[in-house]
Amino acid sequence: MELQQVSYQYPGQAAGVTALSGKFPAGRVTTIIGPNGAGKSTVLNLLARQLVPQQGTVLLNQHPLDRYAPKQLAQRIAVVSQRHALYDDMTVAAVVKMGRLPYHGLLATVPDDEVATYLGQTQLTDLAAEHLQNLSGGQQQRVWLAMALAQEPQVLLLDEPTTYLDVHYQRALMTQLQQLAAAGLTVIQVLHDINQAFAVSDWLWLLQAGRLVTTGTPAQLRDADLLARTFQTPIEIVDVPRLGPYIVQVPEENDRG
Amino acid sequence: MTKHAGWWFGGVLVLLVLTMGLALMVGTTWIGPQRLIAALGQSSSRDFVTVFNLRLPRIISSLVCGGSLAVAGALFQAVFRNPIADPSILGISSAADFFKLGGALLLPWLPGRNWLLSLVGGLVALWILTRGKALRDPYRLIIIGVALDATFVGLSRLVSSGQTTQVMASTFNAVTWSDTLGLLILGLCGLLTALLLAPWANYLKLADTALQTIGVPVSMIRWSLLLLGTYLAVSVTAIVGAIPFVGIVIPNLARRCVGHDYQALLPFSMLAGAWLMLAADTLGRTVIVPSEISAATMMAVIGGPFVIILLQRGRGFHGITTG
Repeated sequence: MELQQVSYQYPGQAAGVTALSGKFPAGRVTTIIGPNGAGKSTVLNLLARQLVPQQGTVLLNQHPLDRYAPKQLAQRIAVVSQRHALYDDMTVAAVVKMGRLPYHGLLATVPDDEVATYLGQTQLTDLAAEHLQNLSGGQQQRVWLAMALAQEPQVLLLDEPTTYLDVHYQRALMTQLQQLAAAGLTVIQVLHDINQAFAVSDWLWLLQAGRLVTTGTPAQLRDADLLARTFQTPIEIVDVPRLGPYIVQVPEENDRG
Repeated sequence: MTKHAGWWFGGVLVLLVLTMGLALMVGTTWIGPQRLIAALGQSSSRDFVTVFNLRLPRIISSLVCGGSLAVAGALFQAVFRNPIADPSILGISSAADFFKLGGALLLPWLPGRNWLLSLVGGLVALWILTRGKALRDPYRLIIIGVALDATFVGLSRLVSSGQTTQVMASTFNAVTWSDTLGLLILGLCGLLTALLLAPWANYLKLADTALQTIGVPVSMIRWSLLLLGTYLAVSVTAIVGAIPFVGIVIPNLARRCVGHDYQALLPFSMLAGAWLMLAADTLGRTVIVPSEISAATMMAVIGGPFVIILLQRGRGFHGITTG
């Protein structure tokens, strides 16, 4: 996927993104990072075509997104949102089957065996008949991921996928995303946890106030001055035994007692 | 379908058959099974006329009306994502009633007047209901709906110069074979379409943004189901008048019996709604013989307390938000 001079401003608000250009490498985990209001989620919404750029173009396989019919787009791009609303009770299998709709008619009945792979990939096989409201937050997140995988997408977009997960599920999800990328899926996510972003990503997008500061590998962007300027807070990179470089926020000069 | 749901389907079918048999026999004159069978062979007998010309059209009409109203309620609940949404509580039925009444006064020459004007009334109410923020706010929706209902009931009373209210007037008492055939054709078309579109009601359990990302045309689905629900509700109003609460009581009970999957919920609601309406009408015409209580009054008495209990106990599924 690629952005070409993409701008989007929300009506009556300063937040948005301005003249963003850059590529998201295929078959890699790319994480968009930046301070609050940097436009991270806006970029994700533009990539998902939930927002339409006011200027510029979003490309998928060198074609503008608006060239794709909604179903064609759904066969190529899947989204796992930060929060999912479910207005009535559904079983796990029923939710995952919804992910197969881009490949069927609107009135089709998706057979059970068609989603067995995605349930297996997300360790949900035993929970297929369970009702979503009875699952833990981590299990529910896996259901939404299974639904997205059922779309057999080329690109998987995730908005803060770890926000409501404990440390164990966070690690499990990140490992799974890395495995999916290794299998050829392009993963683009927004993360708040900067160390998690550096640990799991192949490529990073650094945003500030709706503009792209830079892109690069975690090794290229692991620069305390660059991060301090972007996040507008003093940052140091320390070496933690058995963990390696770790980004920490240090107190401001005038905060030190 | 689960085995548990299968038992419920079997149970409601047995109830339907038993109640239909009973409804043929009871009334001002009790016609027992033997007289009933004998009457079928004598088309000029008084029993035949009572059963075939009076009771049978009434039974068929109440079955179609009950099924239509229950399915209309379930469709509205799916679209508005609100367990107490229903064409009667949201003013659709009373708007249809008002337009029907207005049509009788202003356009008495118009062919198919009752159905056409009821449909126009229902669509006007739906248009008012779906403007602004009501779709996004379940409480606002119900309050606007109740206000709409009260307005159209008031207008109907105004036009009819304070005569009988719509609830009292909505009865199967005067239903003819011609009405019944009209209802049967309109109702069955709508009900079969609803059963066919049942998966769409399931889709609307997901948020609009999620549906867009899987390529589902949300607006088309929402409007199709809303128009279908309106069509079913106004078809009933056109022939017998507005009947409240069937669309709330039945789908909410059906969720407890067969679950939340609309592919089971809609057919079960159709059967259970048909049974409830037939039972209410049969009871209404037998408890104070030779007079009778209208089906609408019976449903108001049964349905009102049900809605109060449903809301006060706060039971049922009201959606979840997951991370």
